Amino acid sequence: MLLPYNMLWQWGLTVRINFKCLLGSALLTLSHGALAQMNIFACEPEYAALAKELAPDARIYSATTAMQDPHQVQARPSLIAKMRQADLVICAGAELEVGWLPMLQMKAANAQVRSTDNGLFFATEHVKTLDQMSNVDRSMGDVHSLGNPHVHFSPQRMLIIAQALTDKLMQLDEKQSTGYQQRLSHFTARWQLATSKWQAKARSLQGMKVIAYHSSFRYLFDFANIEQVADLEPKPGLPPTSSHLASLLKRASQGDIAAIVIASYQNQRGANWLAEKSNLPVVVLPLSVGGNKQSNDLFSLYDNTLDLLTQAYSAQQ
Amino acid sequence: MKNFQLLPAGLSAKLPIKLSAALVISGFFPLLSQAQTPTLSNLTVSAVLDGYYQSEDRLMTERAKGFGIGETELAFSASIDDMFFGKLTTVFESHNGESEVNVEEAFIQTMALPNGFTVRAGRFLSDVGYLNNQHLHTDSFTSRPSAYRAFLGGHYFDDGLRFSYIAPTDLYWTMGVEAFSGDSLRAADEHGEREFDSTGVYTAFTKMGGDISIESSWQLGVSYLRNENGQLTPDEHEEEHEGVHEEEHEDVHEDEHSHGASYTGKHTFITDFVYKWAPNGNYKYQHLTLSAEYFRVSDFIVPELDDMHAEAVDHDEGDNSKDYHQAWYVSGVYQFSPNWSAGLRYGKLDSQLQHEAHFEQQTLKETELSVAWHNSHFSTVRVEFSHQSDVGFENANNDNVITLQYVMAMGAHSAHQF
Repeated sequence: MLLPYNMLWQWGLTVRINFKCLLGSALLTLSHGALAQMNIFACEPEYAALAKELAPDARIYSATTAMQDPHQVQARPSLIAKMRQADLVICAGAELEVGWLPMLQMKAANAQVRSTDNGLFFATEHVKTLDQMSNVDRSMGDVHSLGNPHVHFSPQRMLIIAQALTDKLMQLDEKQSTGYQQRLSHFTARWQLATSKWQAKARSLQGMKVIAYHSSFRYLFDFANIEQVADLEPKPGLPPTSSHLASLLKRASQGDIAAIVIASYQNQRGANWLAEKSNLPVVVLPLSVGGNKQSNDLFSLYDNTLDLLTQAYSAQQ
Repeated sequence: MKNFQLLPAGLSAKLPIKLSAALVISGFFPLLSQAQTPTLSNLTVSAVLDGYYQSEDRLMTERAKGFGIGETELAFSASIDDMFFGKLTTVFESHNGESEVNVEEAFIQTMALPNGFTVRAGRFLSDVGYLNNQHLHTDSFTSRPSAYRAFLGGHYFDDGLRFSYIAPTDLYWTMGVEAFSGDSLRAADEHGEREFDSTGVYTAFTKMGGDISIESSWQLGVSYLRNENGQLTPDEHEEEHEGVHEEEHEDVHEDEHSHGASYTGKHTFITDFVYKWAPNGNYKYQHLTLSAEYFRVSDFIVPELDDMHAEAVDHDEGDNSKDYHQAWYVSGVYQFSPNWSAGLRYGKLDSQLQHEAHFEQQTLKETELSVAWHNSHFSTVRVEFSHQSDVGFENANNDNVITLQYVMAMGAHSAHQF
């Protein structure tokens, strides 16, 4: 087939121009992607939610859900692959992830997220944890000398963590510092407003007594002045035994307890048995964002958790 | 290390050796409590106690009949600086009343190479197959599948070098190459005359994996191991004719205690697959692990012997042996509750045993049922029933074996692999 010379020339020109356009746009997307999208790996959903508040443009991945025990996570291939690509890893710390985070760090071969000097952030390093112990012994169960790591139910502590996390984001992504600062001040205003609302709700819960599973809600109870009179676990980390449940039933018969509180990931069997025998309600609280339908972000998580407790307490009264 | 200076030097020098050994051991306990935070930057000290009772001997296992201690290990690991990580694992074992101390791991690993590259050097567990890079105390059965016992000496650790790379993709994809001295995988050399290559083993492996849903995850691996010293030579049994049987058996028996492989060859191919499931992806209460591996070892005789073998086959039509060894297993382990788990495993080994220039086919089939009680994350007591049926193995007429075992971990919480 013969084509007129000028047609060939034209065709060649258009192709060349198109190619240039394509190459240019490809380079642009590449460099744009490298600059704008930070990869954030959160160990728990509460920190993924916090990252979403402070860095909404980032690509955020949560290693666990509110239906999973954060102590026992498999260092599975997908998590290694995500950590390999991460610019920032946000975890609770205080040994909560001790059974799986070091393995992920080892296998992911990503030097960026190995040290808190760079892209590793431990929330509990920035606040004072409760129940720190100077002398920890395995016979005491699964306790941590660095204190209770489930700090995300403390509004004051979460605000301090948000500030520290913003510092970390600005350190890693200097160019967008003003953006991060703006988002922090926006978040702070909303958080402080919500906190005063939560404090009002918490005041009505003062003096409530509960039996709970593990120390998952230690900070929530501390915030609302709720007393956890007993634990479904005989020792931290150990599942309820029948003899221990029998002793709890004896305790419940004193009549001052409002509810049995468990977290969304925890097995309900022991709690249900105790509830049936003692006529107490079981309240399943979301451990974190995504723990039930109502808890979609940190704000609704607090709202919903306090509402569920208020319902149980007013039913008792 | 001020923990070790519990007594003035002059005083401790006068003490009997036993007492100073006890002091060294007690010196570990403050260390253990110091090492509570096994982030990669702190010194991590952990010890694993493993003891057992086994009703009968099993083929190619390191555990002998009766009471014994299994892999009792003491491990130290820490970041050396911002560039290197190091680990030392010593293993105490006893065989026939004799105690052995072996160094199972003594390696350094790079921590800060860019682009997903890692280099490991020293003595370490090879990354071929699924189980090999895992420590024995994390297993759900009292001994490794016959594939590992026959071809890798239980678990293959050696002195060498590894380069590995992990791709920056959402699909987990890692690959690596290793070179090892390969001493424990050398073919039998009863006269000690053979010249072995000092770097005998080269491996290449790749693993892929991901999540199917929030509840389940998988990993697939393919590995190749090239063993320059793995082929059998023809001159081994020149002088022996009548005594071949006993000789052979003794060889295998000796190998058990030197952690060497019972069957070697030039090429080993391994394929492995693992699938894990937990309701809601929550591993605390229930979870299931299914795994399977296939091993094929080929070119296990040198070409000259191969020719002799071919002639022998011509003369003797009853020879039904193959020119490769193979083994596979499938295993399923289910944790019912935080306190109880049970596992079922079936494995089959097809191997060829050398008798001068011809080979006889052997088959070993093993079925294992294990039930374990976990008082906590750190303590396991296990009972295992295993049934083995074999063809062509000497001295293995015990079909059923019961094993009782405990595995307990002290010190730092070790992170487990997938």
